[in-house]
Amino acid sequence: MSERLGITEDDRAIADAVARFAQNELAPQAHIVDRDEIRTTRYASQLAELGVMGMNLPERWGGIGASPAALILSIAEIAKACGSTASMIGAHYLATDSILIGGDDMIRDRYLPDAASGAKLGAFALTEPGAGSNPAGMITRAEREGEHYRLRGVKQFISNADDAGFIVVYAKTDPNAGTRGISAFVVDRHTPGITVSAPEKLMGIRGAPAHEVTFDCLVPVANRLGEEGAGFYTAMKVLDNSRLDVAATSLGLSEAALAAAVAWAKERKVGGEPLANKQGIQWMLADMKLRLEAAWLITLQAAAKRGAGEKFSDYSAMAKLCASEAAGFITDTALQVHGGYGFTRELPLERLVRDARILRIYEGASEIQRTVIARAMVA
Amino acid sequence: MKVMVAVKRVVDFNVKVRCKADGSGVELANVKMAMNPFDEIAVEEAVRLKEAGIASEVVAVSLGAKPCEETLRTALAMGADRAILVESDSELQPLAVAKLLMAVVEREAPQLVLLGKQAIDDDANQTGQMLAALLGWPQGTFASRVELSEGQLKVTREIDGGLETLALALPAIVTADLRLNEPRYVKLPSIMAAKKKPLAVITPQDLGVDVAPRLKQLKVAEPAPRRAGGQVGSVAELVSKLKNEAKVF
Ligand SMILES: Cc1cc2nc3c(=O)[nH]c(=O)nc-3n(C[C@H](O)[C@H](O)[C@H](O)COP(=O)(O)OP(=O)(O)OC[C@H]3O[C@@H](n4cnc5c(N)ncnc54)[C@H](O)[C@@H]3O)c2cc1C
Repeated sequence: MSERLGITEDDRAIADAVARFAQNELAPQAHIVDRDEIRTTRYASQLAELGVMGMNLPERWGGIGASPAALILSIAEIAKACGSTASMIGAHYLATDSILIGGDDMIRDRYLPDAASGAKLGAFALTEPGAGSNPAGMITRAEREGEHYRLRGVKQFISNADDAGFIVVYAKTDPNAGTRGISAFVVDRHTPGITVSAPEKLMGIRGAPAHEVTFDCLVPVANRLGEEGAGFYTAMKVLDNSRLDVAATSLGLSEAALAAAVAWAKERKVGGEPLANKQGIQWMLADMKLRLEAAWLITLQAAAKRGAGEKFSDYSAMAKLCASEAAGFITDTALQVHGGYGFTRELPLERLVRDARILRIYEGASEIQRTVIARAMVA
Repeated sequence: MKVMVAVKRVVDFNVKVRCKADGSGVELANVKMAMNPFDEIAVEEAVRLKEAGIASEVVAVSLGAKPCEETLRTALAMGADRAILVESDSELQPLAVAKLLMAVVEREAPQLVLLGKQAIDDDANQTGQMLAALLGWPQGTFASRVELSEGQLKVTREIDGGLETLALALPAIVTADLRLNEPRYVKLPSIMAAKKKPLAVITPQDLGVDVAPRLKQLKVAEPAPRRAGGQVGSVAELVSKLKNEAKVF
């Protein structure tokens, strides 16, 4: 089969293995997961056994040494089957990437092998009620008390928090130092003084629970990631990676929607002939395909830069922006091709539309991606 | 004992196949390929025999063009120890494949050769039987269960009337049916590890086998499209339609 730019045989072999699992195990459940808000964290151990929960990690910590392209293809395959599951995995990667990027070998050894094996799920706590697009405005505090920090504050929309084994928390160690006053900590989920609220009622990815989490607890100094004040830099590097995961999720949902639209257009007869014969429908399909392929290319371009060790913040922002906006267009247009049937909950189109909506919001909304892209040119 | 498994690269079972416009064959350009599902079951069985301590080594063999290496890598990722590709760009018909496999068997001396009962592309269902005949070995085709007891291979086969159990003396040929097992999900670390396992490439010339086709394929055509069905309102209407329109009775 002809491949997109920069995808190797190994990448394809990995993605095929993930696709098989996703189609057999995740896809048949996806509508139930959505309807009944079943937490996809329940898949974590199966996914770990397959090798997915540690895919972003080097072999030394239980990962598989996959390329960034293999990671993207795999997440896209999972999203094609179940958007909630892709989102749950993305939050886990946010946490483990934080430890990999911000921590030293001691703390990596303590947390990452368990994260890869599925023994412990990760959560990532950056957002606060008063600080979403501007995480530098966070007010959660970490104050040194001997061999501990006292962590106090509220984090908002924390995916996986309830089922996590550990939560990576970003907090101010020096409230007067701006972004250089932010530090990152790995906090065991069951530390006394952590309260996880009931999950938010969400429009989409309803199988990926997000919670408000209140902290008033002690964290050992050994659980700080890197130096005091290095947290913001770590978070930005982590987001460079995770925006590619969001791009990949966007691509997977788009693939699912477009495939459904093409099949429907060929099957559904209107006025005695298939919808696919109508030029108006063909143009919709063409626009969907064009935006999907363009999003693939820029995402793979960003992955190639990441793989080559180049700076890729702007490319990962462009990939996320391009792919998530494309996913909005493609899922919506695919629903349109299905007419009234697309609007029913019998078909997956309305779920794809709802699942895709978050992709333009979390890990930096579209407006913030534009800021990142522009800053790389003018700053 | 050493087990050899034959694996074929075919159009992925999820792909809707199309005939080439000129009727010369099936369209393969830009089509996703994968291991023949029955061969996957055969590999799984071989790997289970190894995990049970019965097989000492599992050797996967494929025959065909260079991309068959990918199929062999899948077999290695599933747990085969090493692989052999008999590389050929020519069309390989079942008899040629059986002859090539016989030559590999003579080199490798396995005690058991596992194959899929048929490949989902040409559905020939001949290779295992031909290989058994060429080697003069006993064969257990359409196996739904394989057990080794006291040096004999007990093979349960699905036949029209039910299940038949054969006792085969080794060395033997077994072809896998759908219910023999459920192949495992290949784990991602195994895919990476498979890259380091040995994969030897040889040619039909090395084996001294003439692979020239003995059969000529005249034409490949799409089946006639099925007429759309209709819904009936009642049993009485169904009976009437069966009687008067379909003329079933
Ligand atoms: C389901 C879900 C899961 C989540 N999971 C996590 C998680 O696991 N961990 C975590 O830390 N966070 C998580 N989040 C939080 C998410 O990252 C934030 O919601 C997001 O960053 C936006 O922040 P906000 O909601 O505070 O919006 P706001 O910052 O209030 O923004 C509102 C709007 O204003 C726009 N805007 C803001 N600033 C500018 C500007 N300078 N110029 C132009 N427009 C601007 C934004 O783009 C947005 O459209 C999750 C959110 C959801 C909904």
